[in-house]
Amino acid sequence: MTTRDGFVAEREPRWVELERLLGSSASGKNGESIARVAALYREICADLMQVRSLGFGPDLRRRLDALAARSNNFLYRTPRHRFAQALRQVTSEFPRTVREKWVFVAASSLLFWLPFAIGVIGTLSDERFAERVLPAEMLEQMSEAYSKGFGAGRSEGMDAAMTGFYVYNNIGIAFRCFATGILFGAGSLFFLVYNGLVTGTVLGYVAASGHGRNILTFVCGHSSLELTAIVISGAAGLMIGHSLLDTRGLTRLGSLQQAGKPALSLVLGSAGLLVLAALVEGFWSPSGAADPVKWVVAALIALFVFGYLALGGRRAAGVSA
Amino acid sequence: MLRVHRRPPLDTVTDIDTPERIRFACRLAGPGQRAAAYLVDLLVRGAVLTAAFIGATAVELVSGSWSGMGLGLALALLFALEWGYYVACELIMNGQSIGKRAFGLRVVQSDGLPIGLSESVLRNLLRAADFLPTCYVLGVLTMGFDPKFRRLGDWLAGTLVISEGSEPVLPVVTILPAPTEEELLSLPARIPLSVDELEAIEEFLRRRVALPRAREMELAELVAPTFARRLSVRYGDPARFLALLYHRARRSGAA
Repeated sequence: MTTRDGFVAEREPRWVELERLLGSSASGKNGESIARVAALYREICADLMQVRSLGFGPDLRRRLDALAARSNNFLYRTPRHRFAQALRQVTSEFPRTVREKWVFVAASSLLFWLPFAIGVIGTLSDERFAERVLPAEMLEQMSEAYSKGFGAGRSEGMDAAMTGFYVYNNIGIAFRCFATGILFGAGSLFFLVYNGLVTGTVLGYVAASGHGRNILTFVCGHSSLELTAIVISGAAGLMIGHSLLDTRGLTRLGSLQQAGKPALSLVLGSAGLLVLAALVEGFWSPSGAADPVKWVVAALIALFVFGYLALGGRRAAGVSA
Repeated sequence: MLRVHRRPPLDTVTDIDTPERIRFACRLAGPGQRAAAYLVDLLVRGAVLTAAFIGATAVELVSGSWSGMGLGLALALLFALEWGYYVACELIMNGQSIGKRAFGLRVVQSDGLPIGLSESVLRNLLRAADFLPTCYVLGVLTMGFDPKFRRLGDWLAGTLVISEGSEPVLPVVTILPAPTEEELLSLPARIPLSVDELEAIEEFLRRRVALPRAREMELAELVAPTFARRLSVRYGDPARFLALLYHRARRSGAA
């Protein structure tokens, strides 16, 4: 009969060899070492069964468990992702998912644009409305910033600094708007309503102080990219929140994980739109181009955004998958 | 009233079943280890950002005029470090970040396989929710309530964080002072204890040297009466009784 000591003495050299192979860096991974690990993995699994059934002790079992887990992780890989392939996946999957999950996009739009409208109408009809939403100094700064217009343009360095800020701030807002949706949708709901109200209030306040043309000309270029992206991130957040409430026969965890994949393509797509938005907002919107030129470009950008969301990723007739 | 426990026992390990019908146990990484790894990563990110900031300032100083280009790049880097650092690390280092590697932790899918792009992006985006209201309070609370120490991001992405350190094989437990003839005669030749029960006793015997005498007695007294009833014997010192049971079972049994 095998004793524990005899078993360890006989098998330990293989465990040590496997440990050494697993510890070697990725560059040491070649056909030979992989084949050897695969053979040793099978032996370790047999050893583990024996240790368990003969009760050779928890320390030995833990050592072999750890070795088996590491070998499994060493031998099995998820499919390699190529960057170009992933990019194509995102660009076609994103508009498809937006159309498929239109209910959430519609709900999210409503949660953003309704408070936005309240902000605009409120500030235009009641002078003291804006001060209840935002601090007075901040409103003054906003009004001041748009009082001169952008006829003169500004330096390239300033454009770059602002673009960096828009990437950091706006994509951060979109990501938070999505992530906090896991709190049964509450976080997304808050960020959508809050951002809608603040944006509407600022627009209304600047317009009420007589610089409406300046601010509208400034924001028209990037707003179709930026606000659509925020709304879509919010929709992804509402979707994962909803999956926790309406599980459609799955466990709550299973339902959540099923919502993960479409939510991911919505968030990555909206991050892409926000990078474009930051470039437009940083370099084009404050440029010295004439106002009518900016309006035409804004219309073209909006056409691109909505055309892409409506038509992007459609397959040609007769082609499946 | 009789209560049937259907849940697996509460432990810091989880069983993973592979397609080849092999089952092995993985040790889960607890909040303490993960917080330590997080701090290391925080230091790494802080160092990168500081170095970039100093570099950008130097370039601006040498060129003589403040252009804002450096600030723009620094903000873009801040964004990349905040949202992209973990994804990049976990993809390049197969589920590890620099901090996780320092503490032997790894992110895996719930079936033990390596994670891919989508798992990594999802679990790291959700940091924004786990962070709430501040300093990962929600994430730590979620880990505390979850039997597998998962935070919200792990729930959504279907991932686990496991601890990979290699386990030493310990010397066989010796019983001091050695059992006397008289003590062994009081026990039956075959000890009717299961493998799990013997393992529990072994864990206790390995730990007892580090325990105060009163605590050692208290722990032993929790199970000693059950075993004594099963064997129809009496005992004086419960810890000694467990040691003798273990000694007899190991000598006479399968091992």
